[in-house]
Amino acid sequence: MERATKPGRVSRFRPRGLIGMSYILESIISGLLLGLIYALLSVGFGLTWGTMKILNIAHAVFAVLGAFLAYWIFVKVKLDPILSLPFLAALMFLIGAVVYKLAVRPVTRAKDVVMASMVATFGVATVVENLMSYFWRPDPRVLKPVYSGSSLFIGDISISVGPLIGCAISLCSIALIYWFLHRTYTGKGVQATWQNPTGAALAGINPERVSLITFGLSIASAGAAGVAMAMVYAFYPAVQSVWTLFVFLVTIVGGVGSVIGSALAGLLIGFIIGVSAAFLPFVWTNVILFALLLIVLLFKPEGLFAT
Amino acid sequence: MLAISLVAAQTAKAAPAGEPIKIGGSLPLTGVASEQGRWVKAGYEWWAEDINSRGGLLGRPVKLIIYDDESSAEKAVSYYERAITVDKVDLVFGGYPGTSNVALMPVMEKYQKVFVGQGGHGKSFEQGFTYTFASPPLMGEWSGISIAGIYDDLIPKENWPKTAAILTMNNVIGISATPNIVKAFQDRGVNVAVNEIYNIPLSDATPLVSKAKGRGAEFLIIQGFFDDTVMIMRAAKAQRYAPKLIWDIIGSRVPAWFKEMGADGDYVLANNWFPAGLPYPGNDKILEGTKKKLNTSFPPDYFAIGYCWMYTLEQGIKVAGSLDNTKIRDALRSRPFDLPFGKGVKFDSRGLPPPFNFTVQTRAGKNEIIWPKQVAQAKLEYPRPGWGK
Repeated sequence: MERATKPGRVSRFRPRGLIGMSYILESIISGLLLGLIYALLSVGFGLTWGTMKILNIAHAVFAVLGAFLAYWIFVKVKLDPILSLPFLAALMFLIGAVVYKLAVRPVTRAKDVVMASMVATFGVATVVENLMSYFWRPDPRVLKPVYSGSSLFIGDISISVGPLIGCAISLCSIALIYWFLHRTYTGKGVQATWQNPTGAALAGINPERVSLITFGLSIASAGAAGVAMAMVYAFYPAVQSVWTLFVFLVTIVGGVGSVIGSALAGLLIGFIIGVSAAFLPFVWTNVILFALLLIVLLFKPEGLFAT
Repeated sequence: MLAISLVAAQTAKAAPAGEPIKIGGSLPLTGVASEQGRWVKAGYEWWAEDINSRGGLLGRPVKLIIYDDESSAEKAVSYYERAITVDKVDLVFGGYPGTSNVALMPVMEKYQKVFVGQGGHGKSFEQGFTYTFASPPLMGEWSGISIAGIYDDLIPKENWPKTAAILTMNNVIGISATPNIVKAFQDRGVNVAVNEIYNIPLSDATPLVSKAKGRGAEFLIIQGFFDDTVMIMRAAKAQRYAPKLIWDIIGSRVPAWFKEMGADGDYVLANNWFPAGLPYPGNDKILEGTKKKLNTSFPPDYFAIGYCWMYTLEQGIKVAGSLDNTKIRDALRSRPFDLPFGKGVKFDSRGLPPPFNFTVQTRAGKNEIIWPKQVAQAKLEYPRPGWGK
């Protein structure tokens, strides 16, 4: 055992032997799992920003709404969040479509769409957060399916099942979004509209419908991400402001409008969290993450993986 | 956001009359400290209802003006200044948490308003402010008293946990508590194997818990808010890390802990400056308020603490016989008071009572006092039963 630290001083942990190696691997794996969950949280935000020029400040509030809905279904109907996920994603798509019609579509005609959409979606975030507080109270919630407190053990390395399932949800959802955009006729229509709106319209693609699908898809992915986040974090309506931080971090590092970019940025951020937690005092983790953000903004403001 | 509650006087006793006394300020009703803040608000509102039913304050009804500072110290300062300069409140109530109060204490000095609450933390009481009183304080620096009490009075020396891990959120609440906790451990020959500070929001608890487990820490100290404490507990369970004792500073003291954590949240220790059920004046009112307003059998800590803060202000006003804040300040300094957390409490020149601490342990949906022995409601469960037992 090492000598005790002096009062108030942070210990400098140096991994040693088997415990040190398993600790490093656990940290890195845990970071990567979280990073992929952040990727799903951000992918829809990046899509609407990059393609529709809609900066949706309300994106994370819909993730929290997804978490609340999954929690509510789990408590009331005893339906596991994994099983309720397809229904929930469909519901979130519909909610996204309604929000698009009511709050987003009008601002797409503004001179400065980015600024106008920020203001409009800030309003949406406030309304949704307050509605959640009204209906579900502002109390923190913890999603606790039976597997939430268990781990897989590979030798000395433990991998928490909650984040693992959150990561699986994330991977499947990102793969589905990618497949939809690149392998389906509608998805290709969506891409065509982003790349050349006039040409797509001349080819008979309805830009209004494409925008609605894109925004609905974005909100559906936020809802799924909320379930994945709830596998790891406690949540309450006001936590949306904290989750928004993760959304911006991944999107700025990865670049807007790229599904794969978001996934890679999430992985990179997770890897940095894991490695820095393993080798440095934990308090440095956020410093390093936001230093990365600054470096990206200075040297590659379009994002590391922008297409 | 603004909530105004003017609680109608009850007719059973002499009804208060005249212009309402305005008491204002802000609380964190949303944001990271909201889970505690909303219970403080409930405690304030119950005190207002109670005092109005008892004939009012100096015979006048009480009206609360409560702003939501969204857990931001900057907004708390703005809202308190607004309450004082725009709403022209007669009195202010204590703010929460300590991070906001550090910024608010000089403001109260500037406007000469008596500020009875938790105050900031240790160093904020060394700056010569005269209008702030902590009653009870939530003084992180006194947390070491709880650790010392657990070791010295509750566990035979041969069974003491020999290694500890301390995980602390990076804010004034956590940071102020750590040195004295470390000292309490070191004085007893306990090895502090992990002493980590993390930023909030905590992104990942796994590395912290892995480190504590890998170092063989038998005593886990968590100094975080509800969210991060839950994450650490979840990671500990998932990694099958079962220390002999778990002690936390805030997370387990809110009702959501019992509701959301269930059995996993049991047998967690916490230090406290006001646990319910103490044999002192004002406790009966806290229990009455719990039954009437909350419909629970057990008062949430921050509900009770909010009531304590207003109860202390009330005693000062009664002795002063006036709403003149300087007279109230002098009255609070002039003599000992019997308060819900102790009898004969005397505030020193800094506005602090003598250092003290209670220790509680969670079990079956409530906190029970386990130390000091004189007021203990239950025995320490040691070692903490493993997960799921």
